[in-house]
Amino acid sequence: MNTEANRETLERILVESRNIHGVSLWQDAWNRLRRNPAAMISLTCLVLLAVLAILTPLLPLQSPIDKDLNERRFLPPNLGTVVMGGRPGLKFADGTLTGELDRFNAEIADLAIQLQSTSDPQQRQALAAGIAARIDIEHPFNQMWNELGPVSWWMCQTRVALFGNYAIPSLFGTDKLGRDLLARVFWGARVSLIVGIVATLVSLIIGVSWGAIAGYFGGMIDAAMMRIVDMLYSIPFIFVVIFLVTFLGEDSVKKKLDSIGIDQITIFYMVIGAIYWLTMSRVVRGQVLSLRSEQFIESARTVGASPMRIVFRHLVPNVLGVVIVYLTLTIPSVMLFEAFLSFLGLGVSPPDVSWGLLLNDGVEALSIIKVFWWVVVFPGGALAATLFALNFLGDGIRDALDPRMKNRD
Amino acid sequence: MPPEVRRGIVIFSCLVTLVAVIWAARMDYVPPAHFSLQNGTDPKTLDPHRATGQPESKIIFELFEGLLRMLPEGSPDPKTGLQPLTPQPGMATSYEVSEDGKTYTFHLRDGLVWTDGTPLTAHDFAWSWQRMLHPATACEYGYLISEVVLADEYHHSIVKVGDRVEVELWDRPGESSGSDANIQHFPRGTMKYGTLRAIIKPDQIVLPDSASDDARESAELDWQESWVYQIDVAPSDGSGNVDWDGPTTPEEFSVSAQVARDDSIQRTHGVMVDFQHFGGAQAVDDQTFVVRLNNAVPYFLNLVAYYPLFPVNRNCIETHGAPLWTKAENIVTNGPYMLQFRRLRDRIRVAKNPDYHNVDSVGMETIDFISLESQNTALNMYETGQIQWAYDLPTSVLEELKDRPDFHSAPKLSIYFYKLNHDVPPLDDIRVRQALSMAINRRQIVEEVSKGGQQPAYSVVPPGIAGYDNADGLHEDVARAKELLAEAGYPGGRGFPKISLLYNTSETHRPIAEVIQQQLQNNLNIKIELKNMEWGSFTETVQMEKYEMARYGWVGDYPDPNTFLDMWVTDNPQSNTNWSNLEYDGLIKAASTELDSTKRMQLLRQAETILANELPVIPIYFYTSAEMAKTNIEGFAPSAQDLHPLQILRYRSETPKE
Amino acid sequence: MRDLLGYLLKRAAWMVLTLWAVYTVSFVLMRSVPGNPFSGERSVPPAIERQLKARYNLDAPPLQQYWDYLVGVVTRLDLGWSTRLEDYSVNQVIAEGFPVSATLAIFALVFAILLGVTAGIISAVYRRSTADHVLMFAAVLGIAIPNFVLASLAILLFVFMIQIFPAGGWGTLQQIALPAFCLGLPVAAYIARLSRTGMLEMLTKDHVRTAYAKGLPKRTVILRHVVPGAMLPVVSYLGPAVARVLTGSLVLEKIFALPGMGSHFINAATQRDYTLAMGMVLTYTVLLFVMNTLVDLTYAIIDPRVKLR
Repeated sequence: MNTEANRETLERILVESRNIHGVSLWQDAWNRLRRNPAAMISLTCLVLLAVLAILTPLLPLQSPIDKDLNERRFLPPNLGTVVMGGRPGLKFADGTLTGELDRFNAEIADLAIQLQSTSDPQQRQALAAGIAARIDIEHPFNQMWNELGPVSWWMCQTRVALFGNYAIPSLFGTDKLGRDLLARVFWGARVSLIVGIVATLVSLIIGVSWGAIAGYFGGMIDAAMMRIVDMLYSIPFIFVVIFLVTFLGEDSVKKKLDSIGIDQITIFYMVIGAIYWLTMSRVVRGQVLSLRSEQFIESARTVGASPMRIVFRHLVPNVLGVVIVYLTLTIPSVMLFEAFLSFLGLGVSPPDVSWGLLLNDGVEALSIIKVFWWVVVFPGGALAATLFALNFLGDGIRDALDPRMKNRD
Repeated sequence: MPPEVRRGIVIFSCLVTLVAVIWAARMDYVPPAHFSLQNGTDPKTLDPHRATGQPESKIIFELFEGLLRMLPEGSPDPKTGLQPLTPQPGMATSYEVSEDGKTYTFHLRDGLVWTDGTPLTAHDFAWSWQRMLHPATACEYGYLISEVVLADEYHHSIVKVGDRVEVELWDRPGESSGSDANIQHFPRGTMKYGTLRAIIKPDQIVLPDSASDDARESAELDWQESWVYQIDVAPSDGSGNVDWDGPTTPEEFSVSAQVARDDSIQRTHGVMVDFQHFGGAQAVDDQTFVVRLNNAVPYFLNLVAYYPLFPVNRNCIETHGAPLWTKAENIVTNGPYMLQFRRLRDRIRVAKNPDYHNVDSVGMETIDFISLESQNTALNMYETGQIQWAYDLPTSVLEELKDRPDFHSAPKLSIYFYKLNHDVPPLDDIRVRQALSMAINRRQIVEEVSKGGQQPAYSVVPPGIAGYDNADGLHEDVARAKELLAEAGYPGGRGFPKISLLYNTSETHRPIAEVIQQQLQNNLNIKIELKNMEWGSFTETVQMEKYEMARYGWVGDYPDPNTFLDMWVTDNPQSNTNWSNLEYDGLIKAASTELDSTKRMQLLRQAETILANELPVIPIYFYTSAEMAKTNIEGFAPSAQDLHPLQILRYRSETPKE
Repeated sequence: MRDLLGYLLKRAAWMVLTLWAVYTVSFVLMRSVPGNPFSGERSVPPAIERQLKARYNLDAPPLQQYWDYLVGVVTRLDLGWSTRLEDYSVNQVIAEGFPVSATLAIFALVFAILLGVTAGIISAVYRRSTADHVLMFAAVLGIAIPNFVLASLAILLFVFMIQIFPAGGWGTLQQIALPAFCLGLPVAAYIARLSRTGMLEMLTKDHVRTAYAKGLPKRTVILRHVVPGAMLPVVSYLGPAVARVLTGSLVLEKIFALPGMGSHFINAATQRDYTLAMGMVLTYTVLLFVMNTLVDLTYAIIDPRVKLR
């Protein structure tokens, strides 16, 4: 009985203590972040940007790849109406995308009827394959967009259903081959953002674990781990990336990778991510080094917390402020690195598009004789605004996470 | 560490920084040259026998001078603005051509000297031509004078039994018979001359079928090295005089160290025909140089005025060795300018050569060849007056530049085209090739993309070669292209594999490739994948024939259709298309031996017609030059071969009074 | 002093190990990329290619090549002949390019540190003032714009509109100013942010409060007690800053037509100039290693908590 009562008491205390836990660090931080207008605006903008980038195929944008050389080269920003598929060179029925789609669908429908009426299985198979091939090859979407995945394809179809031939005018002007910059900036955002996020996540995971473990354990482990970082630091990585680009661009390698379903680009950006973790790990280690002799770590150790628990439960949250500052510096670095590679001609290859590629085009069009300002200002503005927002958000998160800021303002 | 030390170290590091800044701030200032020009990529070398590119040639034309020199003659063509250039006396004052066009006799000027003060004689030319042809020099222009007697045999080290040959023993400075080769092939080892009696070839090792190409090639070369040459050596003195009628001694030679281990066999660097004594380039005396050809070459004088045939200084090369002799402190030249200094990736400075025979005609005191790759930077520097001549301009502003008085544009003897690899299935079908070509709207490309006034090309020989009537090719015809594609088994583009279009990384090639990508997609539903590569890897990929479609350009080496046509004959190493047409080969061969100029041109035209119909390459456009030169420069005019003799340039205000 | 010497020796040993690792990795990578250095525009006959390969020791088995070159580098500091720039040995290329790159990097770094630290201190001390907002805005802008865009805009502004700097080339202090500015600005922006963060962090520390409480003037407190501590993140950033400046100079050397090592670096890698590429990698490695060691030393000197190991 006695033990029963004891257990009850114990359980009650446990429940209570659980309730006392109250506002977590993160909850608290979120509350404080909400009071920071700059950070909240940045967050909203970034979320909006991400959503827009994901939904780009749904938006009534012009084609990002269709080049109108005859009439639309280097148009400054304007409000002139643009009809999807209206360029004479496309030879679309009615001069519209929907007209051509109707014509194409009618043709396919004819074939489908033919398919229905045939009974010979072999012939049926051939016909069905023919239809699939025609949709694959001759579909008018191929003229307007490059290599759509299934989701994007569906979104483009919805876009045509919703908006028909309407397209937002060239608010950002057009480039030297007569392509709409607004559309290109949006499609470019998809590539640039993915590059930034994926690569940074990779760097975050490696960097934080590495730095925290090295810093906490110290001694031989630290020395060995940090010397490895030093070694990697001293390698001019741009070289490695250039090699990888040429190596992965080789046909045989490319085919092998394709067969296992790995995109050349994917590996490439994983590599960038794997390069950028070095600074992160150093900073984390530095912070952990100065933190590990603090009292709360000592007390955690005295109550018998496992080293891993101390590292990831007590040290990592405490260095998170600095980690986030670095994070907000790393995403921009990666995005800038992508731009840098595009400048050297090693980035994504057309008709794919990224902000770096757009900026490189823009800089080429920037000469003293004539300044096509819109070609550099809009992609540059998009990139700068994104990086701006990331920075402000980072600042905000840092302030919000800092327990010492708790009772300020 | 005590705080004082710490503070000391902080101060110390501040001092170090200060010293570093002061070190960095000391600049070796170079006053600007009299005349500066954009010279593209940094030149690889200044050795006339090793250079290949445009940037190198511009400099070499000023540093060296051949028997003849391309100089303006008459006034520019009023329509195109092209300044005709003709080969005019350079080191030679005059020349005679024999009736059959097979012998050229050049008479050198009196009192010619090198920049080191030694006299320049016909022997220098004989030696230079021999060096150029020597296989180890690896001059890529050796084929230019393959019609010179024995030149081709010498260049490719072809020997036959019965030939009079030279043998270079394995005793160049620093060599012993078992050692590795000294890669400096001048000065040469001990030379022996004689008549080749026999070549003893051991059995060739049969490699298994699984052996790689590299292994095969290597085995073949090993086998060739193990040949033993039996030669009746004629007596000769040390300086190369041979008594061919004297008593001969039979001796044996081999390249392989293993074979030559036997005392009776001497190790040699190679047995080659005796070009020095029997070749078609002989110095009769100090002032007379005679060239004998196997067949008449109508453009031979142009070749003589081309830089690979310029003389180089034997003493300089033999003293300093192959790459080092071109260093500013070593080089000895004979042209209107001499090398002052060379700063890698920055500039090459040349100054007027006071010993040049026609020094009074040389305008500029000093010239800077600035290594500048970026088009925008070049334009910026031109606009701020840091350079006076820019030849590679950004296309985005060409339209704005066109109307300025300092803009020059004229057709060039060169073509922009796409090579097709015939080993890749759909491209081996003539209908597919024709369809691709007919679906490309070249006019749009030249007018809206490249915009430099280029001419759409439907065949490969640029217009404007005197006496040649260009073949006409297949023009744009989308309807016919679709039919052809359907006939070839790809109706509406269905089933057509995705092919890749390879180009070298450049601000110019990408937009053109992108537009062609769109045109083929729009017109034929054919998907093209764009691939770009840096120049080095690009050429490698094309040469290994690992491409499907590849951009290429060709600049005429001499003003004759042959330079655009002879590379497409079967198995030409520069073709890389795997295209082969026996009729075409026959026509090119017939043309090369045809003496009558009109007939020859007709033969070439027939060949071009075949090419334009079969389309192993898809021509896109003929280049034009687009250059900016300051208006106060006199003597600047575009020329078809894109040659610009710089010594005739001068500033207007400085024109000597007449 | 003894631990310092020991430390330096240890680092030197690590550097040798790093160089060896870098050498090995670059060697393997370079050999695994298709293409050889003699792929010119016109084909070279096989016998001659063999001679050329022999000349550059490319005909030996890979392991032999690996060893021979390593021996050359270690015993004679001889990096061999460049295969693309025929007239130059790799040592000469580096000797010509290094001073240019170094000059550019020194100016850019000093400029970046001076500007960045000053801006950081000002905006931390006057937190939430207009100056703080303007400086931090500028700093974010500096981080957010790729340096090739920055350089192009700077050329438009300073070369053509205000006409105070030349458009490119090398030789005078004027010609360095613009590229050094474009190269240093993003780094300055990073440093400004880092030093501001560090300053804010230090300002809340107890010893700083004590100092204030003692009635020390604000100036003294900031310069004596806040700045040294606040510089820790800046100092630890200097290593990456050097790397960043070296990478950034690739772009700026291209735009401003400067004859530094950066342009060699790119060309050597993409044109399969094995020897030059290797020489460049090793040089950059030594450079980065030395800089990182210096940074660590400084870090240990400023922050007594960190022990050298």
